[in-house]
Amino acid sequence: MPLFGSIGIAGTGLTVYRKWLDAVSDNIANVNNASATSGEAFQARYVVAKAVDYGAGTGGVEVGAALLSGKTEGRMVYEPEHPLADEGGYVRYPDIDMGSQMSQLIMAQRGYQANLAVVDRAKDAYQAALQLGRG
Amino acid sequence: MSIGPISPVGMIAPPMSVGATGAASATSGADFGTALARGLENAQAAQTKADDLAVQAATGDLADVHEYMIAATEASLSTQLTVAVRNKALEAFNEIMRLQA
Repeated sequence: MPLFGSIGIAGTGLTVYRKWLDAVSDNIANVNNASATSGEAFQARYVVAKAVDYGAGTGGVEVGAALLSGKTEGRMVYEPEHPLADEGGYVRYPDIDMGSQMSQLIMAQRGYQANLAVVDRAKDAYQAALQLGRG
Repeated sequence: MSIGPISPVGMIAPPMSVGATGAASATSGADFGTALARGLENAQAAQTKADDLAVQAATGDLADVHEYMIAATEASLSTQLTVAVRNKALEAFNEIMRLQA
């Protein structure tokens, strides 16, 4: 465990939540991408968090993988005026639930803030330790 | 009137043997100076890391905002720790110096 370990561990948490925020942001940005029925629809991206072994002396969390939702068929929407529409008048839209994305956004934001609070408290604690025996 | 030659200065008595104290300091292991130097090196490394990240922030290469803030916090804490250790040692030294008064 390095000096000021808890600050570094909270830092790994911040990185993971930042990547989660990025993933949600990407999903919401692409939520209305229409694509031709011959191709695949945009797939939502999910971040998989994985614990770094505490016994190994490091601790913390890391992003193990970024997985796609696998819903390549998306939602078929009847839009005959769309330039990408097939002969039946359908286009594909991503099968992304906006409500689920927004709740993930809140969770990621709160997690980020919680880790920031840990960094702050750890800094205060270390500074209090440095005041030990003074005065 | 003639001035007589200066008489030679007598031998100064040799000081008491310092063998005992010399042996004690030799067996005490890593001295304080080495420890303080290592602490300073750590603080220096933390400062260098924070500086590198600050440059990245200025050039737009910084991926994580918190990474710089954490590095700066750690650098500040390391410096505070080294200064605290040095102040404590100086305090102890001054205390010893006051013994003869």
